[in-house]
Amino acid sequence: MSPDTIYSSDSLSGDLIASVSDLKVYFQSKQGMVHSVDGVSFDIVDGEMMGLVGETGCGKSVTARAFMQLIQTPPGVLAGGSIHFKSQKQCKKCTGSGCDDCSNTGREIVDLLSLTERQIRELRGDRIAMIFQDPGKALNPGLTIRSQVAEVFQEHRESDVFERAGIADTMSGLTSYLLKQYVRQETNFITKLLLKFPPFSLARKKVDKAINGLVSDALAETQIPNANKIMERFPHELSGGMKQRVMIAQAIACNPDLLIADEPTTALDVTVQARVLDLIKDLQKRHKTSVLYISHDLSLVRRVCDRVAVMYAGKIVETGDAETIFINPKHPYTQGLIKALPSMTHERGKLEAIEGMVPELIEPKAGCRFASRCKQKKANCDKTDPELKAVSNKDKSHKVSCFLYE
Amino acid sequence: MQIRDYIIRRLLVLPVLIIGTSIIVFALTRIGGSPIGIYLSHEMNPAEVQEMKERFHLDKPVPVQYFYWIKGVTQGDLGWSGVASAPVVDVFPKKFAATMELAIAAGIVAVSLGIALGTFAGARRNKLADHIIRVVSVGGASMPLFWFAILLLIIFWVWLGWFPIGRSDPNLFEAIAHPTGFYTIDALLAGNFAAFRDAIWHLIMPAVALGYGATAIIARMMRSSLIEELQEDYVDAAKAKGLAERVVLKKHARRNALIPTVTVIGLTFGFLLQGTVVAEIIFRWPGLGRWMASAVLRGDQATIMTYVMFTSILFLIVNLVVDIIYANLDRRVVLGE
Repeated sequence: MSPDTIYSSDSLSGDLIASVSDLKVYFQSKQGMVHSVDGVSFDIVDGEMMGLVGETGCGKSVTARAFMQLIQTPPGVLAGGSIHFKSQKQCKKCTGSGCDDCSNTGREIVDLLSLTERQIRELRGDRIAMIFQDPGKALNPGLTIRSQVAEVFQEHRESDVFERAGIADTMSGLTSYLLKQYVRQETNFITKLLLKFPPFSLARKKVDKAINGLVSDALAETQIPNANKIMERFPHELSGGMKQRVMIAQAIACNPDLLIADEPTTALDVTVQARVLDLIKDLQKRHKTSVLYISHDLSLVRRVCDRVAVMYAGKIVETGDAETIFINPKHPYTQGLIKALPSMTHERGKLEAIEGMVPELIEPKAGCRFASRCKQKKANCDKTDPELKAVSNKDKSHKVSCFLYE
Repeated sequence: MQIRDYIIRRLLVLPVLIIGTSIIVFALTRIGGSPIGIYLSHEMNPAEVQEMKERFHLDKPVPVQYFYWIKGVTQGDLGWSGVASAPVVDVFPKKFAATMELAIAAGIVAVSLGIALGTFAGARRNKLADHIIRVVSVGGASMPLFWFAILLLIIFWVWLGWFPIGRSDPNLFEAIAHPTGFYTIDALLAGNFAAFRDAIWHLIMPAVALGYGATAIIARMMRSSLIEELQEDYVDAAKAKGLAERVVLKKHARRNALIPTVTVIGLTFGFLLQGTVVAEIIFRWPGLGRWMASAVLRGDQATIMTYVMFTSILFLIVNLVVDIIYANLDRRVVLGE
């Protein structure tokens, strides 16, 4: 780990919500280990929108999935690093008064990668939520919108459901047991049958109604018209934009601390893209959620994000303020990316492209990954890895990993 | 279209299909020659033979014979079974019930075990349990029924003596009334637990033998389609909501994995009916299959016609049920279009 990173190894400074440090995710393949994510480090400041930019296959989605432990192992291998996350729970050591372990925040800091299945499940969908790239694929085609959005409340907001149903205090004995099974989706054949008949069916209907209310509120939050009607539909009956709104509603249902948006507009029509993007931005501002926004579109990221990290072939090549990176890119790859953006001032029929191909990530050699395509290549670019370092002493936040600036 | 409308429409088409099938089957059996042989004996003189031919309308052209057959069917007369030495109508219901009991038991074994094993293996891809289940299903799909049945017979009846053969213990069978012909149901209706236990005990071995092949096919289909579904984005999205592995598997992935499996289940039903012939002969099960086997060997065409007609109607109904379940699982399917 480079010494000038702003986090220490097992804590977060006060204003950070999450910190990725030296994350390494490899995948086994017949040709060898694919180093998809190879030592990625970045921070997410509480309440900001952080952009992660890179072309297809550079490892940005893998990084995002690592937050939720959604990488299948095998073939995936978590080869190292950590993702520290500030949870809502009180710090165990100082019980909220602030100590060194929790950087005086009073909140427990966990390493998402080393949590057990049960612990990460508590965070998933509740404190950390994810919006997927293609809403057509990320919604189950066989279940109604209602039952899919409801699952978030059933999993994380059991007490809210009972409270809204108005039976929180009156429940007892068998009814309570059955309804809890029902909400937790743990019913078996017998309990399901029991819930179909009075007196249990009456309480169950109240619970259903409460869940309906929660779902319809969540859908209304994302400006879905006729939420009550949409609820009973199946995903294939909705348009792409509508489906993505459902996904967003599902993700923000529990008001998460961190929202991971994995190319949320890529699969949508251009006209819908802007509206979905505005929706995310608007929700982020209102709920003060931190967002990790993943995209291959630099201009899009500039529009919504506060800070940006540019990824290339499994590594972060440049990170800093969104505006700074756009106006004053340092890394040759970032420069190439920005040049490649089509704009009104371009001559017709002329579009810049970065020459060459993305290198193979199977057992990569030492040296800068971009060296083979770089026009400003120097002698040591092929031999040693450049480190991510601040560009100047004035601006510590703008960092680049390139020998040109050493 | 409403599912109810669809069912009604399909049921209306059913008679047309049945008449079509009956014409084909009738023509095919008659190609095998006149069925007169089964009604004759050595002592008959030519005049008596002629009389028999006239009695069964076998002196008329084949198309006319068909209409006589249809006329008989509408009047509840399915012909005379030479093998059973009784009218087909009298023997058929009992034998049919026996066969259906066996086929349904085997179907339950195949569907429940097939789906369970397939899900188990698919969720534990490339682990030990998966490998074992795969070996077992390859065995089931490739072992001939007659061989596997004999194997079971030797081990569990001859050597271990755990399971009996035949359909029932005669004394227990006589002790209860048989309104439905299904021994298990009759025993339950009579409230006779000993008879019920006897019925189940006799049913296990033939049902397992008969269901094994179908189990294997269903398990393999279920496994591969579950593995495919588990790669889908919605599975990750479900996990990202914090759902337990169990809910992700049972509520999300298995449901969609069942879609192709249900089609296969419908097809294996035909496979089961066909298998009853062998299973009934080996386990001495007094059902249609055994009756049918002797009917084919002795040219008992009235029996053959009835058997084929009934099994085709069953198959048509099973396919209708499969279509309905399919539409229920895959919401993108629009019935009747």
